[in-house]
Amino acid sequence: MTIRKVVGIPFISLIFFIVMSLVSWSFLITSSNVSVSLSADAVYSSWDFVKRLLGAGSNGTPALVSADSWYRSLSLGLKTLKMSVIAAGFASLLAFITFVPASRNISVEGSSNFLSAGAFYLLRATFTISRSVPELIWAMLIVFILTPGTLAGALALAIHNYGIIGRLAAEVVEDMDQRPIRALRSSGASPLQILFYCIIPQAMPRFLTYILYRWEVVIRTTVVVGFIAAGGLGRDLRLNMSWFHYGEVGVLLVTYILLVIMVDLISTVLRRLSR
Amino acid sequence: MNFTAFKLVPIRRSDNSSFVGGRGVTSLILCAIFLVSLVTVDWDASVFHDGGISSVILILQGMVELDLSPEFLGIAIEASWITITYAFAAISLAVVIAVPLSFVASGSLFESVISKIVGISMIRVLLAVVRSIHELIWAWLLAIALGFTPTAGVMALAIPYSAILARVFADFLNDVPDSPLNALRSSGASPFQVLIYGRIPLAAKDILSYAFYRFECCLRSAAVLSFIGLQGIGYQIMVSLDDVNFGQVWTLLIFLVAMVVLIDHWGSQIRRNLFS
Repeated sequence: MTIRKVVGIPFISLIFFIVMSLVSWSFLITSSNVSVSLSADAVYSSWDFVKRLLGAGSNGTPALVSADSWYRSLSLGLKTLKMSVIAAGFASLLAFITFVPASRNISVEGSSNFLSAGAFYLLRATFTISRSVPELIWAMLIVFILTPGTLAGALALAIHNYGIIGRLAAEVVEDMDQRPIRALRSSGASPLQILFYCIIPQAMPRFLTYILYRWEVVIRTTVVVGFIAAGGLGRDLRLNMSWFHYGEVGVLLVTYILLVIMVDLISTVLRRLSR
Repeated sequence: MNFTAFKLVPIRRSDNSSFVGGRGVTSLILCAIFLVSLVTVDWDASVFHDGGISSVILILQGMVELDLSPEFLGIAIEASWITITYAFAAISLAVVIAVPLSFVASGSLFESVISKIVGISMIRVLLAVVRSIHELIWAWLLAIALGFTPTAGVMALAIPYSAILARVFADFLNDVPDSPLNALRSSGASPFQVLIYGRIPLAAKDILSYAFYRFECCLRSAAVLSFIGLQGIGYQIMVSLDDVNFGQVWTLLIFLVAMVVLIDHWGSQIRRNLFS
């Protein structure tokens, strides 16, 4: 093993990473006047908070055993689920339209057309920008234009995930076997025929996997976007939190966790099915 | 279930992909779920604001009227630095928590079959619950319990990230080839020794690469910690949005995009070097 191999990029990165972590910790500890260590006080107040979430200290029946609270929470959960599906669906549609022109081997190397090269760079730029900005910040921008609601929240989620799915799918096209494309082209297939008989069938399995994988992430984030842009579980979590109705918050959290685990399961089953 | 490791799984080259069969069914189911949701969801009468159209113009105007004054660039750089420190602090803590957890979750330390099944399922359920809660909700819960401090912020990122990392690390530890492990076992190594001398070295590349990939996500999450009132780039974006100063918002967004692109590039260099 040569020295170059030992002191390669991964090794230097690891050292840099450790140094930066230490610098960050010392910066955070010194710049904030509060201690980073957990005091006994903090442990006590956390425990108290957990008890409140489970319904301690509430007047009347605790929310955790109230049918009304559960009914309300579950119907909000259903709405959140629908919103996540709409967001993932919009993102997938947008990505599906754009991922082929956004692959280098199709638009830049496979074509001498300036227009398609321009489309490649433009689409890649939209992917980068939309995926670099978190959903929540997209949501904050969108509520300047749309009234807070399902559409605003779904759009914010869709913009962010369009960038992620689009980029992943474009990389699939770039990494795929180029020989069938060349074979089809040399036997006189039109670009559209190449698209439908070669590129899409090859990319589809991965594309489906990415959609399902993103859906699992979207269901988690839908709640957070709901805080500011829409209804569903997120809005009620926020409202109950600010009313100090911690029992209700507990019910909503349990619904949320169940929802996420359910989507994970559905997604796993569908992924197995599509394999 | 390899959704989290999507970057690391090689793409299957020759795939006799027919559209009938499981794949077509999956596509149909997904389309059906999408259409049903689209039709049945309650849209909350979501339409344009009264000033919605003029906001579009303002937002687009901001793209060309960036605030590049030295004072504001100073604010942007400081905010970016704070966000980076949160990301580094959180991911380093998450890795430190995740590694021992992944040893347990991989089940390689258990001797008997029963303790293995019980131990694995208990810790896997725990990890599933912890990572199913989004980091901002953790931030909120922790802010109520611990106060609005940087501690709460770092913990809020580190807790769900350690659960994600532990799950994936455990899968990597389980996926190593069997023959080197059997060689160790037959020479009398204990499960712990098999783990240290067999599984960890064999899975180290995947673990390292995945941790760097997660770091990019962690940076984006750190940017929105401002939601519970912590400093950083998200906080400055919120302040500029409150001032309806879209020039500043876009300047800050450029900083955010640049950070993500840099880390993405760094990570892909590492992956290329590890797996070439």
